[in-house]
This record gives sequence, C-alpha cells and structure tokens, in this order.
Amino acid sequence: MMYMMYFLLFGLVLGLAAVASNPSPYFAALGLVVVAGIGCGVLIWHGGSFLSLILFLIYLGGMLVVFAYSAALAAEPYPEGWGSWPVLGLMLGYLLGVVSVGMLFSSSMYDESWMVCDEFGEFYFVRGDMEGVATLYSSGGFMLAMGVWVLLVTLFVVLELTRGMSRGTLRAV
Amino acid sequence: MNPYILTILLFAMGLGTTITFASSHWLLAWMGLEINTLAILPLMCQSHHPRAVEATIKYFLTQATAAAMLLFASITNAWITGQWNLEFMSYSLPTTLVTVALALKIGLAPLHAWMPEVLQGLDLTTGLILSTWQKLAPFCLLLQINPSNTSLLLILGLASTLVGGWGGLNQNQLRKILAYSSIAHLGWMILVLQFFPSLTLLTLLMYFVMTFSLFITFKVNNSTTINSLSMSWSKAPIISSMVPFILLSLGGLPPLSGFMPKWLILQELTKQSLAPLATLAALSALLSLYFYLRISYAMTLTMSPNILSNALPWRLPSNQHTLPLAITTSLTICLLPLTPAIITLLTL
Repeated sequence: MMYMMYFLLFGLVLGLAAVASNPSPYFAALGLVVVAGIGCGVLIWHGGSFLSLILFLIYLGGMLVVFAYSAALAAEPYPEGWGSWPVLGLMLGYLLGVVSVGMLFSSSMYDESWMVCDEFGEFYFVRGDMEGVATLYSSGGFMLAMGVWVLLVTLFVVLELTRGMSRGTLRAV
Repeated sequence: MNPYILTILLFAMGLGTTITFASSHWLLAWMGLEINTLAILPLMCQSHHPRAVEATIKYFLTQATAAAMLLFASITNAWITGQWNLEFMSYSLPTTLVTVALALKIGLAPLHAWMPEVLQGLDLTTGLILSTWQKLAPFCLLLQINPSNTSLLLILGLASTLVGGWGGLNQNQLRKILAYSSIAHLGWMILVLQFFPSLTLLTLLMYFVMTFSLFITFKVNNSTTINSLSMSWSKAPIISSMVPFILLSLGGLPPLSGFMPKWLILQELTKQSLAPLATLAALSALLSLYFYLRISYAMTLTMSPNILSNALPWRLPSNQHTLPLAITTSLTICLLPLTPAIITLLTL
C-alpha cells in the first residue's frame, strides 16, 4: 500500500514538472491529464471516492476535453516536447529543484511513511466527502446560493472578456 | 459596456470585498479575493485594445498566483493545526506564506513589478479602482493575522518605500508615477502593521483620499503624461492651483493631511526602538517627494512656452463631475488638525 502511494505521488510530481516545462499546450495539457488522474487516485486512497469520481468526470472529462479541443483549434504546427533539449533541461531542472526542497524539509528518507490514514474509520455511516456535499445543500444553503451567483458572474465575465472576437480580446486565429 | 453588465460587475466587486471583510474562515476569505479579481477583469479590458488586454492578463496572472499561494498556506495551516480560523495561525511557515501572498496581491516590493505595467495599461478610473478598492480586502486579512516574523514585514515595508521612491524618479507617464506612489505608501502601511494596526488603517484611508483626488485631477485634465499637464493652468486654473497641495500632501509635508500618517508612524517606530528604521523610511519619503514636486513644477509652478492664444481658451462649463474631487481635495489639505479624533475613531 505504501509502495502504491509512493508510486502515485512520484507520478504526480513528474506530471506537474511536465506541465511546467512544456511550452506547447498539447503536452502541458497531457501532463495535466496525468496529474488529474493521479490526484483522483490519491484522493481515493484517502477515502474521498465520491469527490474523486466527480473530479474525474467534470475536470478531466469536461474541462480538459474542452481545453484540448480549443488548443487543437489554435494549432501549433511544430510543438516542442521533451524531444528538444531546452524543454528536457527545464524538466530536469524542476525535478532537481523539487527533490532538493523535499530533502531540505524532510528529516530522513526512512523515518516517514506514506501510510494512508482514513479519518473516519470503519464505523461511520457516511463517507466524509459525501457528507460534505450533503451539508452544502442543507445547512450550507446560503454558501451554495453564493457559489451559484458567483458562477453566473463568471459567465458574464467570460462573455464580456471574449466579446467581439478578433475586434475584442481574442486572437484572430 | 452594457449597463446591466456593469452593474453586475460592480456589485460583484462589492460582494467580494464584503465577503473577505466578513470572513473568519480562510476559504471564505480566499473566495472573496477571487471574486474581486474576477469582477475587475472585464472592467480592465473594456477598451479592448492590446495594451489594456496585456494589463488585464498580467493582473490576472499575478493575482491568481497570489490567491493560489494563499490557498496553499491556509490548507497547510489547516493540516498542521486542524482549524481554519484567520486569527489563530500560530505556525510560522503558513503565516509567512500568507504574508508573502498578500504582499504579492497588493504590490509590495520586492513583489511589485506588475504594478506599474498594469496601471499603465488602464484608463484612469479603472486604475483608481485598482489602487484603492482592491487593496481593502488584502489589508483586512493582513490586519487580522498574527505576524510570524518581525523582520519580514519590516523588510517588505522598507523595501517598498525605497523602491516606490527610486522607481518613480525617471517616469514621465503619470500612471506609472501613481503606481510607484502606491507602492511607497503601501510600504509605510506595512511598516507599522505589527506595532499599531490602527495606523495602518489610518494610512490606508488617508492614501485613498489623497490618491483619489490625484487620479480624478488627472482624469479631469484628461492627461496621462507630465507634458500634457502643462497647459492645465489655462483650462482649469483652480484645479491647477490646488494640485501642488495634493502632491505635497502625498509627499507627507506638514501642515497638510498627508503628514498625519507619516508623523504617527515615525513616532510609533521610535517608541519601538526602531529609530534607524524610522530615519531610513523618512529619507525614502524624500525620493517620492522629488517626483511629486516635479509634477507640480510642470503643472502649476511654471508656464511652458506656448503661443499666446493657447493661454486664453474658452472656459466653457464642464460636464465633469467634480464634486468628489472638491471633497477629497479639501480633505487632503485640511485634515491634519483632526488627528486625535481620527485616531480615536480608527482604534482597532
């Protein structure tokens, strides 16, 4: 189990370094897909299975797919990936930075364990994350309304920012 | 812009600041800050020309980075201490990270580089909203957290006053000068934050009044460079005669109201046995004073060479709303005798 968590977190850091080091949106979004998938896996290990499912569906299956389509429309004819030396150098630099900061903050390599502890234990009737969502809809009703209003404002903001297409803010592709 | 959209955006800006003011939970405070950032973006790129869009993007990126750092710090604090309250942060790493994130949000040195470029790309009214209203929510959070490290806030403050002074020296674009002036004043506010928070609030509100009058003066003159201010004496003589007082008040000279915050801050720093710091801060105010004097020199104290007919334009009744300018100019000049009352009113 610890090995599984170690493996997942290692992949997370690799994926994040890929997102940061790739100048082309295709490979960066691919890194994001990997990171989101692994994040969902880590979430499941910590007991948030419902949240992980929602994350997978909405974030990966909704937003990243839309991003992939829009990136494909604004096509880059010669995208640079890990094949080119500057990008690979950046990637290795980020990994080196993460490892050095990690070694700075951790006491040793063998003292600490990645053992997963679930907060609620075996005798709870509901999982923590599903209970949280239910609370949002019941006693957190005012915050839900606030969240809905802010989403509507976000819609207006995006529509206003992109109004006019190439005469406005958007690049004339 | 469509008036309904404008209403919704301004309402959202008010909502964001109100949410941050009313919050004691870090997630709610972060939410308010994000709403503020979101709502000002369309206001910033209203004119849709590339410079404004560039300013909008730069603003969005820096504010999103700061909000992400804030979220990271608050989650780290929740992980370590198990609670999400603003006032009870007792570990140094999350508190330091929160302070640095809020410094990036308001534009303190050495995290100030976005401020002149963003302000330069905006029109004067949006720049005013950016310099004043958007500083309220982060300051509300800064006033509430327990500072972890005495020297962090002092370094941020002193660096901001020095950078604000030196950075504004070689500028002839008014919006960049206003940006560096903002950085310098924010530095003064942060210097005294951990010793006497009421003075931070006092400096913030005084800065709002002073910079409001300056922004609106430039807007009335429709000028964005120092050169274009040089003919304002013939078009709006009363405004031109009052501007040196506004600028000297920003520079912190007695007997104008801008002296009030600087005086009280220097007094408080001396009481805390930080007299050399107080001396350095006072000397850095001289740098800012130089470019304020340069603006007043170009605008009021000298008449640039010009043909005779330009000195006698028709002074037609203007449609500009100058009542706010009149009120804030009077407050900028005459508020110093009310110092005890203001201190009492603003006691936190």
